[in-house]
Amino acid sequence: MKIRIDDRLLEAAEGSTVLEVALAAGIDVPHFCFHPAFEPEGSCRMCLVEVEGAPKLELACSTRVKDGMSVLTSSPRVLEARKEVLEFLLAEHPLDCPICDKAGECRLQDYYERYGRFDARFREAKEKREKIVPIGRKLLLDRERCILCTRCVRFLREVTGTGELGVFERGARTEIGFFEDWRIDNAYSGNLAEICPVGAITDTDFSFKTRTWFLERGASLCPHCGRGCNIDIEFRRTTNRAVAERRIIRVRARENAAVNGYWICDIGRYSHPYWTENRSRFVLMNKEAKTVRLSWDKALIILSEKIKGLGLRGKGGRLGLIISSFLTNEELYLIGRIFKEAVGLGNVWLADPKPQEADRLLLTAERSPNLRGARELGFESRPPDFEEIEKRIQVLLVFGSGLREASASGEVRNALDRVPAKFLFAAHTGPGDDAFDFLLPVSLIAEKSGSITNTEGAIQEFQPVWLPMGEAKPEWEVLIALARELGFGEAWTDLTDVREAMAREYPFFKKSHE
Amino acid sequence: MNHEFAPQVLAEVLAVAARYPRREAALLPVLRILQRVSGSLGRAEEQLAAELLGLDPVRVREAVTFYPLLRQKPAGRHTIRVCVNLSCSMAGAEHSLACLQARLGIGAGETTADGRFTLLTVECLGNCDQAPCLMVDGDDHGIVREERLDEILGRYL
Amino acid sequence: MDLTEHLFELDVYRGRGGYDAARKALGMSPDAVLAEVREADLRGRGGAGFPAGVKWGFISRDGTEPVYLCINADEGEPGTFKDRWLITHDPHLVLEGIIITAYAVGAHEGFIYVRGEYEAAALRLQRAIEEARASGLLGERILGTEFDLEVVVHRGAGAYICGEETALLESLEGKRGDPRLKPPFPASAGLFRCPTVINNVETVSNIPRILRDGARAFREFGRPGDGGTRLFSVSGAVVKPGLYEVPVGFSLKDLIFHLAGGLPPGRTLKAVIPGGLSAPVLLAEETDLPLDCDFLSRAGSIIGSGGVIVIDDGTSMLDVLGIITRFYAHESCGQCTPCRIGMSWLHKTVLRLVSGNGSRGDIDEIARVASAIKGRTLCPLGDSAALAVLALISKFRKEFESRLEECQIRSQSS
Repeated sequence: MKIRIDDRLLEAAEGSTVLEVALAAGIDVPHFCFHPAFEPEGSCRMCLVEVEGAPKLELACSTRVKDGMSVLTSSPRVLEARKEVLEFLLAEHPLDCPICDKAGECRLQDYYERYGRFDARFREAKEKREKIVPIGRKLLLDRERCILCTRCVRFLREVTGTGELGVFERGARTEIGFFEDWRIDNAYSGNLAEICPVGAITDTDFSFKTRTWFLERGASLCPHCGRGCNIDIEFRRTTNRAVAERRIIRVRARENAAVNGYWICDIGRYSHPYWTENRSRFVLMNKEAKTVRLSWDKALIILSEKIKGLGLRGKGGRLGLIISSFLTNEELYLIGRIFKEAVGLGNVWLADPKPQEADRLLLTAERSPNLRGARELGFESRPPDFEEIEKRIQVLLVFGSGLREASASGEVRNALDRVPAKFLFAAHTGPGDDAFDFLLPVSLIAEKSGSITNTEGAIQEFQPVWLPMGEAKPEWEVLIALARELGFGEAWTDLTDVREAMAREYPFFKKSHE
Repeated sequence: MNHEFAPQVLAEVLAVAARYPRREAALLPVLRILQRVSGSLGRAEEQLAAELLGLDPVRVREAVTFYPLLRQKPAGRHTIRVCVNLSCSMAGAEHSLACLQARLGIGAGETTADGRFTLLTVECLGNCDQAPCLMVDGDDHGIVREERLDEILGRYL
Repeated sequence: MDLTEHLFELDVYRGRGGYDAARKALGMSPDAVLAEVREADLRGRGGAGFPAGVKWGFISRDGTEPVYLCINADEGEPGTFKDRWLITHDPHLVLEGIIITAYAVGAHEGFIYVRGEYEAAALRLQRAIEEARASGLLGERILGTEFDLEVVVHRGAGAYICGEETALLESLEGKRGDPRLKPPFPASAGLFRCPTVINNVETVSNIPRILRDGARAFREFGRPGDGGTRLFSVSGAVVKPGLYEVPVGFSLKDLIFHLAGGLPPGRTLKAVIPGGLSAPVLLAEETDLPLDCDFLSRAGSIIGSGGVIVIDDGTSMLDVLGIITRFYAHESCGQCTPCRIGMSWLHKTVLRLVSGNGSRGDIDEIARVASAIKGRTLCPLGDSAALAVLALISKFRKEFESRLEECQIRSQSS
């Protein structure tokens, strides 16, 4: 059906609300309590609009569209109502902007700037309430700032089903609270600070780190489980431009209806040290208790010589690969083509973090982002067989940090020590690095292009947010260079070639290519 | 406050709950029972109600803090509720209140030192033709003049 | 002789023809009962005045979900005590009305939401229910028919807002009394989201008479579109405060001066609040009008709950304003922005005025805040408060201004 909003004629689906249609068309109808994940609440009263034929202003969030309906979102009556609702909210709101983390991304501020601009007329004493109330995990509640939109209460009742928060008291004394010492303790707590429209619920992970307007933002994907949640990584560049480093401030959810909806879990949210800490930056060679820097060219030459030295062209058993499903679809495809087919190799093992419990929301049992992709490309979950490795492998390539835990232990370390040439392609440094002869720094998802396949088979492409750290390179670049050193005729120049080839050979990936 | 609840209390609660299509609808009557038994609704009472009715305790507390007749803090043996709404105010409710405050030595919202009376002001009790009126516990008292106060209070030990 | 003294006893009630109407109704089809009630022009007696028969017609009886009947005995509107009287002195009339109503709408469970403060009334009601059940008037297959009906008395706990029908439902479900967004309306999604009819005590108490005497006779007692008699709770500055039953359309002036004995000697009429505290005030010269829904609305007020509060020249309207704003600040549920903050704002401003720190500009401010609340809230409580405050200010501004000065002088000298 068609409805009119202001001077525009818009297509509207049966059963949708005026607010939904307006937002989809890019028309700003301000609102606090409405959130697309929940049923309309109707309590903030900010989204009042004028509906032709209705005597009172109506809520855009809960008024269902009717064919031929005509709505005004900026008439004098509507603008006056918005001002008045804002005035009520600000009447009991503390003047905390100078110290409030939400400044710059606060709806109350934004709406005041757009629709308010009045002088304060409230002369009475404001309600005084508690301002630093720990409510669980990393969250604090400031009851003076709270506008009682109840998004937090509804999130915990309807999304996590844990219901830790409630609405206590009545009238102007109404406040958000919890029962005795029961605090929020679920893996999605961080979303509360995001959905709070003002600075009432704040995340101590972010407290006082920066002002939001200094943040830059890049879209990426979370690598910590098989869901592939869409994220925004927010960072600040250091003032020393020459260094061109970045400081990750926080990770936020990016909406994707097909993958993670509106949310991310706390593991992905609070793991921003993963992106920048303990990064491997240089190509290193460990030789006789000394560590020497090499160039990539040199290292790849050495590696290709070692491989060629094994004299493999048919089925050989002396080259081993331990990979992980942190590699992208394209990288796994390249590995398959270079090592399983071209070089001939049956020794590919998968070393991933141990699977843990999945929850009923986003978190999958597998704690790596591309296990499904690996399977679609023909890799099975074979954990490394260290007896085999010790007995037969002469040249071992390890991709990823999957061996870290294991390589600290005696058995694995002993096995590794028996392998003459070991190459580690990892993004992070860590324990067990000294077990390897060659350490080659590689990129994380935020530093390269590629695609990963989530647990349900959704193929998601991503672009880099930054350049790689130090001398790190994306694995796919390294693999193509290695292939050239090994003398293959494949004309892979960049990812596009790889993707096309992947789509040709594996119908599953055709859909992403289209 | 008794943290262990006698079997007859549990039985009474469950009998009330059985009258409703869903147990949780019985929350208000159940809380009244527990308040009668324990004097006020503390953590133990809230958790018991939650358990017996299949509710999260936070929901129980939402009700306890919303409804004025449910109290979280212990009160005196008898609660005096003085109406100060319009008809009673016009009939001299403020004067009755002042007399009670003087007689009991407490202000509105407080409890006498001997734990006998809690004095509260409330909105309309629905007894306006008997203004000024007050309630003591569940009893209505209308046309409350200063000279009657001693007699009324005397009924409640 | 007090005709009603023992009316709460089942045999006395039955001796006067009680439950005959129920018997008659149960012998008709539910649709026929509904039609009779619709024809009677019975308007809701709780405050909103919505025609009962029309409301019943919104229920669809052929769904798979149960239909519930809720009787609103929360009676929190200041100045109103009619439902208390009915439950205490004529509970069987209420029950008989409930039986007929439940039958007409297809409900087998009725909940009577009685405000928590009505202890004695609730006990009487409970006693009457037990008597009724023992005599086959409630329970399974009542009055020898196939119709089952259980009635439960549910006690409130001190929240005026629970008199609002959707807040009543929330409270009955064991939650905070926070009103719901409408639509959906209770007729389609009410108690536990099942079709529900909510009627006031006095409304259902009229049903037996409609069935017994017929819709036309009932209608003739009142005025077009507003049939029957009404119970008016008269209190304040009158010689004979009390409950008066008069035909709809009876003169307000006659109610005050003839039935209720007029004002005490030496006092003159200053104002009347005709429909409970939420009703916009009428000046003394505005009280010569018929008490029916339409006339009162044309006079800028409402018939509301029929709580007639008579105010004499000895009462300060600033005090009245203070009580109104205090009342609404206390009773606001806190869900929606304008009411939660606005009522408290009004109350705080009035307190400041009364303490001597106000100015004339503050009276405008109060009017402005009330106007900002009006039409913006989730439930009608906001509008009720706003209209009551605005009426007071528009009619008594001069008095407010001079009271303000008095308060200032008083505070300066103390």
